Amino acid sequence: MNAALIASESLGKFSREGFDAFVARRIDPIWLTEKRRSVWETFDAMDWPNPRDENWMRSDLRGFKLDKFTPVDETLTLEPTAAPVRLRDGVDMGGDISSVNGLVISQSLDPELAAKGVVFCSLSKACRDHAELVKKHLHSLIDSAADRFAALEAAMWSDGVFLYVPRNVVVEKPLHLHSAMVDGGIDLAHTLVVLEEGAQATVLTECSSEVEQGSGFHCGGVELILGARSNLRFVSLQDWGQKVWAFAHQKASVGQDATIQWTVAAMGSRFAQVDQQVELVAPGASSYVNGVMFTRDRQHLTYNTIQRHCSQHCTSDFLYKSVLQDRSRTVWRGMIKVDEGADKTDGYQRNDNLMLSDHARADSIPGLEIKADDVRCTHGSTSGRVDEELIFYAQTRGFTRHEAVLMIVTGFFQQIFDRITIESVREALGAAIARQVRQVD
Amino acid sequence: MYHSVCNLSDLKPNVPVTFEVDDRFVLVTLIDGEVYCIDDVCTHDGGTLGEGEVDGNCIACPRHGAKFDLRSGDALCMPATEPTCSHDVKVDSGTVLVQLRD
Repeated sequence: MNAALIASESLGKFSREGFDAFVARRIDPIWLTEKRRSVWETFDAMDWPNPRDENWMRSDLRGFKLDKFTPVDETLTLEPTAAPVRLRDGVDMGGDISSVNGLVISQSLDPELAAKGVVFCSLSKACRDHAELVKKHLHSLIDSAADRFAALEAAMWSDGVFLYVPRNVVVEKPLHLHSAMVDGGIDLAHTLVVLEEGAQATVLTECSSEVEQGSGFHCGGVELILGARSNLRFVSLQDWGQKVWAFAHQKASVGQDATIQWTVAAMGSRFAQVDQQVELVAPGASSYVNGVMFTRDRQHLTYNTIQRHCSQHCTSDFLYKSVLQDRSRTVWRGMIKVDEGADKTDGYQRNDNLMLSDHARADSIPGLEIKADDVRCTHGSTSGRVDEELIFYAQTRGFTRHEAVLMIVTGFFQQIFDRITIESVREALGAAIARQVRQVD
Repeated sequence: MYHSVCNLSDLKPNVPVTFEVDDRFVLVTLIDGEVYCIDDVCTHDGGTLGEGEVDGNCIACPRHGAKFDLRSGDALCMPATEPTCSHDVKVDSGTVLVQLRD
């Protein structure tokens, strides 16, 4: 068994005593400790999400037992794991960070980028070395009281990543983050990205478990803050073990004439619930979000997305596609919110679902909430079974049934692939999808 | 594989009890001296049946009123049209054992 688990047996659970021990073990600055203590009180006073709440009514949390998990011991030295890394192959990286069970074990950054003032390091380290910068932005987007998972993450995040790109600095090479989890482990990690005016960067993040059928608990947060005219390409590949419970709050704030291209791929975990928000906070802000979900067995993945137009002349485009096998289930709730006065809005959202099994289920709930007069907001959703005629036609041309299904699934996702501008990501996603396609009954 | 869920004496007639079996939630009910087990899942929208109103041999989903037979899992009225999964049950020396079907 991994040393991280053996040592953690005596550390106490996510109780007040466990929290106190967690804080005592850390070497956080005082401002952070105070912040943690304040949010812990919020967590302690909250109930678990109400199943009647619209965000949670399609999610069965009864099987989730927080007491099964133990806060990780950050005083341990953790070794690299065999958890697969998919987005690094053949890519010339500008920086690379690896973590195990939510603790950073290695970090590197191209010296040329460091000389330009770029910061790419462990979030714990950044809280000490770049306190004013982190203090200003950490948990500034995500409401720690949004639900009990958001509060737990804000109180007990163990580590994570901080990226800061100064004004007008262009980071050409992608920066990479891999989060690994041992079987039965936990990952409470936070990603904070701050791009100053005119800055540009590409960030590839991925997570995976050491054991494909591994269990565990992920409770994470992602905050992406884009200054005016900045440009961020952010990729997130979720491939946790098949028995992992995963919860996350992810939010981007996009400034004037700034652009975010955000690609999400979700393949792993037993149960995942992600709240993803993009706020367009100044004129001319744009967001392009691509989501791929591929589920199997009895996986249950929920994505609640909000694209919020707070200002005029902003564009948002969300495209989520899911392929479901076996008895898996996806839930996608998409909402376009347009604030009063946010005229000349161009908002689009779409969710397509392809069922490869009679027993799979996809819930697709697009929505609009518009308080401005002069807008163009459109949304759409399609769900359907894989077309037997297409499979038959391919078989008459010499393809096996499996090859035919793989071809159809690849074609289904092609629209998303076409929108992904990073070749390594396209290849990694294609390979991951090909690996998961099973025979269709 | 059979999983032990409770003692037969723990069950009251026509009162379904929710148990977690191998990461799934099921309803176990004693009806006319026989023990039955179905998924604690409404096939209409995937909600849980456990807190629904019981009327004889059937339970109504608290969300939209779909009714299911507690013995067979059959959907008895709209909006559900598909049965919820039923599972094998046996009683051995006063212990109720459940074997999940896919």
